[in-house]
Amino acid sequence: MLIEILVSLFLLIGAGFALIGSIGLVRLPDFFTRLHGPTKATTLGIGGMLIASMIYFSVQTGQLSLHELLVALFLFMTAPVSAHLLAKAALHLKVRSIRPYPVESENREGR
Amino acid sequence: MFLVWIILLPLLGAALSPLAAQRGRGVAAWSAGSASGLALALTLWQALPLTADSEAHISWSWIPQLGLNLSLRLDGLALLFVILVLAIGLLVILYAHYYLPKSDRLGRFYALLLLFQTAMLGIVLSDNLLLLLLFWELTSLSSFLLIAYHPHSSEARKGARTSLIVTAAGGLALMAGLLLLGHIAGSFELSTVLASGDRVREHELYFPTLLLILLGAFTKSAQFPLHFWLPKAMAAPTPVSAYLHSATMVKAGVFLLARLFPVLAETEAWFYLVGGVGLTTLLFGAYTALFKHDLKGLLAYSTISHLGLITLLFGLGTPLGAVAGLFHVVNHAIFKASLFMAAGIIDHETGTRDMRRINGLWKYMPYTATLAMVAAAAMAGVPLLNGFLSKEMFFAETVHHEWLGALDWLLPTAATLAGVFSVAYSVRFIHDVFFNGEPINLPRSPREPGHRIRIPVEVLVALCIVVGVMPGQTVRGLLDAAVTGVLGEVPYYSLALWHGFSLPMLMSLVALTGGVVVYVLRYQLFKLHDRWLPRVSSEDLFYRFSRGILRLARRFMQSFDNRSLQRYLAWLIAVAAITAAAPLTNGVILHGGADLMPIDGVSLAAALILAVAAIATVRMRHQRITALIMTSLVGLIVTLTFVHFSAPDLALTQLSVEVVTTILLLLVLYFLPGGERLEISPLRRVRDLLLAGSSGLVVALLAFGVMTRSHTPISEFFLENAKPLGGGSNVVNVILVDFRGFDTLGEITVLAIAAAGIFMLLRGLHLPLPEHGFGRRQWAVDVHPLIMAAVSRPLLPLALLVSLFLLLRGHNAPGGGFIAGLVAGTALILQHLASGLQWTQQRMKRRYFTLIGGGVLLASATGLASLLFGRPFLTSAVLHLELPLIGEVELASAMAFDIGVFLTVVGTVILILENLGRLSTQQSAQPPTEPEEMR
Repeated sequence: MLIEILVSLFLLIGAGFALIGSIGLVRLPDFFTRLHGPTKATTLGIGGMLIASMIYFSVQTGQLSLHELLVALFLFMTAPVSAHLLAKAALHLKVRSIRPYPVESENREGR
Repeated sequence: MFLVWIILLPLLGAALSPLAAQRGRGVAAWSAGSASGLALALTLWQALPLTADSEAHISWSWIPQLGLNLSLRLDGLALLFVILVLAIGLLVILYAHYYLPKSDRLGRFYALLLLFQTAMLGIVLSDNLLLLLLFWELTSLSSFLLIAYHPHSSEARKGARTSLIVTAAGGLALMAGLLLLGHIAGSFELSTVLASGDRVREHELYFPTLLLILLGAFTKSAQFPLHFWLPKAMAAPTPVSAYLHSATMVKAGVFLLARLFPVLAETEAWFYLVGGVGLTTLLFGAYTALFKHDLKGLLAYSTISHLGLITLLFGLGTPLGAVAGLFHVVNHAIFKASLFMAAGIIDHETGTRDMRRINGLWKYMPYTATLAMVAAAAMAGVPLLNGFLSKEMFFAETVHHEWLGALDWLLPTAATLAGVFSVAYSVRFIHDVFFNGEPINLPRSPREPGHRIRIPVEVLVALCIVVGVMPGQTVRGLLDAAVTGVLGEVPYYSLALWHGFSLPMLMSLVALTGGVVVYVLRYQLFKLHDRWLPRVSSEDLFYRFSRGILRLARRFMQSFDNRSLQRYLAWLIAVAAITAAAPLTNGVILHGGADLMPIDGVSLAAALILAVAAIATVRMRHQRITALIMTSLVGLIVTLTFVHFSAPDLALTQLSVEVVTTILLLLVLYFLPGGERLEISPLRRVRDLLLAGSSGLVVALLAFGVMTRSHTPISEFFLENAKPLGGGSNVVNVILVDFRGFDTLGEITVLAIAAAGIFMLLRGLHLPLPEHGFGRRQWAVDVHPLIMAAVSRPLLPLALLVSLFLLLRGHNAPGGGFIAGLVAGTALILQHLASGLQWTQQRMKRRYFTLIGGGVLLASATGLASLLFGRPFLTSAVLHLELPLIGEVELASAMAFDIGVFLTVVGTVILILENLGRLSTQQSAQPPTEPEEMR
């Protein structure tokens, strides 16, 4: 019973963050702000679901279920990188932004 | 058993030649020579003296359903030709070592020459018609390669092509003829066929059979009007001309006439066809040879003429004619090979083969001149030389022949006339080259060549004299054996030098004196020839004919093959759709009766996304990258569908394939030209829409029809037997590596071939880096962002670990070699993307060929291993193991197979990626930035 509540709680937390992230993806005004939705919120959301899954399957099978840690590891490694690349691409493409672009950024990164 | 070795030794030598050549030219010559020499020694040791008992015969069945057996027989006829092929081959190998330039390593030359020798030995030893045909074609192919030995010379290429087309076409006719012959005789075994001569000659199909077989023999032996490939083949290096185009290969046709003589000869059709063609060729060749200014051209036409003579002798159909024919085969091979070698030496020393410029060489190379003159005298039929003997026999046969009735005088007259021309061109060869004033404007100043290159010529010329003086003591035994092989008995004949004053003697005298007279009058003849003879030749006709065929074929091809990929795809899809739709038209009830599944929200959503993505791909085709993303969206949804219907293997495969193809496509799209959009005509748009729509509909209908039927699917069998038979519980994988292992082996082989094709296509191709990105945008300055490079590196071992995990557990749980290979490939692609091509290549040597080749070999070896245990190809064996951490592993032999698949896939992915990535790097204005080294 306690386990079920715990699992549900984590599932709800995860789903909530995912929902918020998705709403952000739709509602936020420009690309750079929208980027926060899927990267930050969704990462947390999936984290919650993974914890729920760990608890559920550990209890269910009687063995410690650690696959989810691997999933989380891969996700935490890759999600920031893709966000970073997306942001860089957007900067390069000069997509519409609610704030003006920082001026010296291109020069700093150039050789 | 030694029969097999006679054929295998040269073949072995052919395989070893390139290896031997790496250790030097001498080693190559020694290895090639010892292959031929051993085979010759073996033949002589085993087969001499040849009696009825020592005739060797072996037979293994090969494809009994087709009547094709590996049967070999050594009888007298075969023995004669085997000795000829091997002995002259040995001399040519020696000659070539000194003739070909020092820069030539000789590996390729000897390999091809010995391959040809193998084929030739195969022809003469075959005791099965189909086997003979196989070797026959092999001689055509190896001759093609030998003529085109210097592939940069267009003359050589043309000559090789012509000879291949003519002889291969003849080979096709021969195939038809031999099939008919085997059909009539009821067996393809030569011994059976030879015994059923009467049945063949009385059969209603006799005439077409004869015609087709003769067509094969005549093309090979360069009989008029199919002779023209032989002068063209003179573009080959002289050792090749000496061996193939005078002594051996062109004799294959004559050999066939001799071999099938008991079956086909002694009919009127045989006499008129073989005799007529032989006579025409004899006269035509002798006449034309006189007018050739090219040394080798003269010899080529003289060869044609002598082949005509031999053909005519067989065409007479008399026992003594066959004897004379075989005798002349030997004599001609001896003197003509030596003449070619001498011509090669002269070519070598003077730098030209034009007899109008080569004059008076006697002063410069008296020794070679003497040798060549003796050989040429043998060719002319001067007494005391071997050519004289067989020519006398020939004259005697024409005199004694009675078939033409009132026209009996025609044959001896024509023979004498041919003899006159034969003497005339021989005299021309001697007088023009060695006397007749001074050399004119030679590229090189001639001198006597080194003595070793002359050894083969000396041997052959010595044979000319020895055979000419003492025929009874030298060739009689061999000739008797050969005649027995053809006729089954030895008719009475005499090889004496002097038969008293007789008509043949007179004919010889007339020929000798007449020949000298013709030579003296040659300039008048040249003028007449140039003015009066029509310029039309069978060669022109042949080229016009082959050009016409090519033009026709090209026009036909152009009607549907216009090099437009859209057109190809349209044809492909249309045909596939029509073929698939055909069964639907005749009133098949589509709905098979099974209950339909309820439509759930997830499926509906997926279907909607699929449809939207497909339409979006079409709409956004001008923005290629976006369109690509749309197609990968389709792939992703398909992956999710697999997950939804519990097909993890398929989902994994689809996902990894999707990733790899998208990235590789991105690399390719990058190089496509931008610029103006091409408008598509409305008509084509309608066509494409119709095609796409209807093919989609057909597939959907078929899928619906199949899935609503409740039959017992084949999958039941796989589900039941995967564990007990295949030793794995992942049915998909067991199917791939076990039940359908052969398919998979084929597929990875195709993959490997495709990889090789991609490599060759992209090799040496350098494309400039497009100056702008899509939409005239500048390229980003920071090509390899640090964060990505930093993160991708620890990711590599992790991803490889996952890949290994998938590979090892593949037999029992979702995974397997293919998926694992793609995952590993993706991990490596990531390194390329994150850190650049140069960075990655510095750390990873280009081993993709090893990977691909090793993979295919490992998979094949696994399959072959089961043969060792007496099981069929690709039977798997299972061993259970407990490994720490990974758990229970079924160490099935399928695992090794799967590793082979894995290696091939990884290798292919890396190969494609590296070669595509490499395209622009060499020439790009700014080399890709190296990520900063992390410390």
